[in-house]
Amino acid sequence: MRIVVCIKQVPSSNEVKMDPVTKTIIRDGKQSVINPYDSFAVEETIRIKRETGAETIAISMGIPSAEEIIRDSIARGIDRGMLLSDRNFAGSDTLATSYTLSLGIRELGKVDMILCGKLAIDGDTAQIGPELAEHLQIPHITDVDEFLEIHEDKVICKKSDEKHSTVLEVRLPALFTLNKDINNPRLPSISGVLDSLNKKVDICDSQKLKAEASMLGTAGSPTQVVRTFIPQSSKNTVMIEGKLEHKVSRIIEIIREES
Amino acid sequence: MGSLIIDREKCFGCGRCHKSCIYDGIKLQEGKAEVTNSCTLCGICIDSCPVNAIRIMNDKEANDDLSMYRDIWIFGETENGKLLPVVFELISKARELSNVRSCDVKVLIIGSKPSNLNEVYQYGVDEVIFYKIDSYEKTEETDIEIFDDAIRSYHPEIILYGATTYGRSIAPRVAARVRTGLTADCTQLEIDADNVLQQTRPAFGGNLMATIVCSHTRPQMATVRAGVFLPKKVDSENHKFTKKEISINTQKAIKIIQQSKKDEIKNISEADIILSVGRGIGSQKNLLAAEKLANLMGAQLGVSRPLVDIGWKERTCQIGQTGYNISPKLLIAIGISGAVQHLAGITNAGTIIAINSDPDASIFNIADYKIVGDSKEVIDEMILQIENAHS
Amino acid sequence: MGSHLLKKIDTKYEHYLRDESRLVGKAETISFPESHDEIVEVIKHCYTNNIRVTVQGARTGLAAGSVPMEGHIMNLMKMDKILAIRSDRNGAFYLKAQPGLILSKLRELIKTKRLDCTGFDESSLEAYKQFIESEEMFFSPDPTETSATLGGMVACNASGARSYLYGSIRNHITGLKVVLSDGESLSLRRGENFAKGRELRVLTDSGRVILLDLPKYNMPRTKNASGYFIEDNMDAIDLFIGSDGTLGVISEIEIKLLKLPNVIWGAMCLLQKAETVDRFVDFLRAECEHVSSIEYFDSNSLEILRMQKIMNTAFKRLPDVEKDINAAIYIEIHADTEVIALDTLRKVASELEVIGEDSSNSWVARNQFDKDKLYFFRHAVPESVNMLIDQKRIDYPNITKLGTDMSVPDEYLSEIMNTYNSMLKERNLKSATWGHIGNNHLHVNILPENEEEYIRGKELYVEWASIVTQMGGAVSAEHGVGKLKSGMLTIMYGDKYISEMRKLKAQLDPIEILGIGSMFSVEEGDVK
Repeated sequence: MRIVVCIKQVPSSNEVKMDPVTKTIIRDGKQSVINPYDSFAVEETIRIKRETGAETIAISMGIPSAEEIIRDSIARGIDRGMLLSDRNFAGSDTLATSYTLSLGIRELGKVDMILCGKLAIDGDTAQIGPELAEHLQIPHITDVDEFLEIHEDKVICKKSDEKHSTVLEVRLPALFTLNKDINNPRLPSISGVLDSLNKKVDICDSQKLKAEASMLGTAGSPTQVVRTFIPQSSKNTVMIEGKLEHKVSRIIEIIREES
Repeated sequence: MGSLIIDREKCFGCGRCHKSCIYDGIKLQEGKAEVTNSCTLCGICIDSCPVNAIRIMNDKEANDDLSMYRDIWIFGETENGKLLPVVFELISKARELSNVRSCDVKVLIIGSKPSNLNEVYQYGVDEVIFYKIDSYEKTEETDIEIFDDAIRSYHPEIILYGATTYGRSIAPRVAARVRTGLTADCTQLEIDADNVLQQTRPAFGGNLMATIVCSHTRPQMATVRAGVFLPKKVDSENHKFTKKEISINTQKAIKIIQQSKKDEIKNISEADIILSVGRGIGSQKNLLAAEKLANLMGAQLGVSRPLVDIGWKERTCQIGQTGYNISPKLLIAIGISGAVQHLAGITNAGTIIAINSDPDASIFNIADYKIVGDSKEVIDEMILQIENAHS
Repeated sequence: MGSHLLKKIDTKYEHYLRDESRLVGKAETISFPESHDEIVEVIKHCYTNNIRVTVQGARTGLAAGSVPMEGHIMNLMKMDKILAIRSDRNGAFYLKAQPGLILSKLRELIKTKRLDCTGFDESSLEAYKQFIESEEMFFSPDPTETSATLGGMVACNASGARSYLYGSIRNHITGLKVVLSDGESLSLRRGENFAKGRELRVLTDSGRVILLDLPKYNMPRTKNASGYFIEDNMDAIDLFIGSDGTLGVISEIEIKLLKLPNVIWGAMCLLQKAETVDRFVDFLRAECEHVSSIEYFDSNSLEILRMQKIMNTAFKRLPDVEKDINAAIYIEIHADTEVIALDTLRKVASELEVIGEDSSNSWVARNQFDKDKLYFFRHAVPESVNMLIDQKRIDYPNITKLGTDMSVPDEYLSEIMNTYNSMLKERNLKSATWGHIGNNHLHVNILPENEEEYIRGKELYVEWASIVTQMGGAVSAEHGVGKLKSGMLTIMYGDKYISEMRKLKAQLDPIEILGIGSMFSVEEGDVK
């Protein structure tokens, strides 16, 4: 059995603030890390591997430094990795990204399960999973909470939406996007970290993937950001000043007035 | 492919673009800005340049004759045989947009007729497109084929989906099937001077909004969460109803074994008075004080996403883009910085009193009353004063 | 009231009569000075009217240092600003701060570099500009309680896990301003004023000379927060660090910031054989120079965590510790490059193999997500024990936390651990032990089932104080002496030296108004 887990490198801090005067980003964190949702997908993949002996591969599309998160997944128990990296991938929206990922996965031959985190915390779209499944022409299930049974040709899993919890039988191959907190991601061990330094990470560019140029990067991205801005507001904010006691008594006054 | 172009004549080496980049994708070299290999063409540096020296050049030409695409469609998602409330909200927004675009508003309904079908006309729908399916089961496997057929048959220019769990699952599948663009969780939609849909949403994980367009492919698609737009009844004369019957052959790879209803846990979206707290609250101990204050005030306690992420509170209390949109009469926000995704959830709140120790917190931009102060101190003092008043 | 700054203590201020040690005290008035001058005003008033003063910060101390026995409470929480910043030729930065600044707030300010510079003079503004451009800095003392104030940390010479490498807060204080019992102030700068032998001469800000005869004892060479810092030719500033609020009121503190290491990783080694612990610790001390902390958790602590994980949903995210694991050692690697950090991991892996342990029984945290997990794990141990004690107190309200804070020299580590274990077994008392094993400083927490065991536990604690003293160790390594351990201080130094300490205090606080009850037990009839 072969399982692929898709992971993404995101900025470590979600606190990207913009200086309103210079329009420059005030960054809180320096590093990039694995998208937290993907940590749960990696852990789930390792769990299934321990149960079934499946071969596991972590795949990511990103800039060269994204190799770090692939190696980190290997340190935790994934067998090997694949990084899709090329200048031509820059500017990809979810359609181009999912297309590129689908090419990488096709390179691996027969794949039974593809696991993804439900969304990435920088884009927050939750679109890659379903789009990738469409490119690969396989069924997809979003919002998976638990895998109940894993077999060679099908799985039984539980998913949830606003009102229901549903148990499904899904024929493989299929793609699954996983909710947060469905498991407790394990930390790598010392031997895991040291061994991962020697493990294989394939690096593929657009040529190796035989990608169609018109489907990559900005060319392959129907959506484009035309503007980023700090939201302005038309409210006339009243500032309440003074000592703590005075400020609070004014707050309580306003509460009484409004309710 | 696309590239980041820097006008070296305009560029005077201020370095603001470098400071705005999260990826080290643009650097100063000999006094002028230059693109590096790490540039992802995200576009965030464009706004930072004081002399507009940066732009993204896209070599792609328009394909398809876009003029054959017309009308704004809403996906009429149903649950238990009824159209969801978000559908009506989107219809109202579509009606507004259609007046600018001079086109029709249509609703796509799949499977069986929902009991509240005719209500859509009261909100300004011009035509219902109904795909009748025998023994219909709402799954992505079936619906993707319907959407495929509908888009090829009718060429809608815009499709809007409620950002429900199902909507966020089917819409991207459709986008990949017909190779078009999809923007998730939009908080603003507008038709611009070029008749293109401007889709605005919180972005870059923090305090910024991004406006996105899908200029070269059709349909332009967007998902929108419940509570972002308000439903509005209009006078309408159109009542067109079109029925299509097609047979779908799916792989039937997905089989429902068991479905159980989740307990009706009340969530924060319906509360009238809300006390919301965020990371500024400091510790879990202080959260308990906030709960006490909420009880004393007769308010519901809501939290921002970080507090749910670290497990201090359940998601049913989460306010914001990935939580719930709220519309209370009164909102008191303590220790909330005002990340854009959080603000997205409170745009429909009435009076907002905001307390934060950071005088530049973004929350103050949308507050009616601004108090700069320590969260814990304010909560403790509020508890003190309210308890004293009671006794 | 005399000084308008003094407020009468009524129900509104009741909680100021106690601190984290759970001891409840007595007082008549309280003040919240907002400046050095206001401290002076209140002190002068108390001096003139013979009112005893207990100074408080955030009241997070465990030795009841901030619990008043009578008189006046001076709470410094309102003095929480950073007054100035300077840099030196080597690129180090120094912050001058008020004593009420909370550690977590200080850390945030250093990390975000967003200082409130209203009131900064020209040179501070200049240094601030440099600070913003500089690499990331940090303040190394890391006591568990991050809501402690800087003043409190100075008063008890606080440490934390990282003091193994960086030393206690003493190593990072370069300036102090102290208000003496009569309202005079001392401005002390490290490196400017040294004792001659055991004679120290200090000059107050108004020009008055005070000659101090320092006690003749020699401090233990271990991690120490018990009693006054005294040594030949000592720096005057060190007398006040760790003085537990008994010699003066600290009104300004200058701290030194260090450059934050580029690579900080945590590694938890899970050991099957508890006997391999001291050998492993010896190896880490001798061979691994890039380690900032070496922490220990015994099998009882690990068992408590296993139980908590099952019983308490708040702990469900704890990583699993298999039943065959009997000890855990946590190390934190501080290095300039990943290459160095990986090298340290290699050394650790190979040593684990040598001692017959499995290097795959370990957790390495390299990103914030994982570090938070390990942080949660490490702090879950003391938290769980606190919760267990709180539960016992429902039935037996007189029980309090019984945790030791003693350190011994390196060569006695093995012996003291055996002593702790065998005596507990002998007395049939349950316990959990964890702590800063790198400094041979373990917190042995006795878990009494009932009041009788609690009393026997306290007795055992006192016996250990003697044993540790004979080994050349300290009875309080980081919590300070406060009100609760004055008896232990006497065991450690003996009556003669305690008397010399009292004489020293009397030279600076002749009418005995500062911190009465801390360090020295109050004799019958001493209460005013």
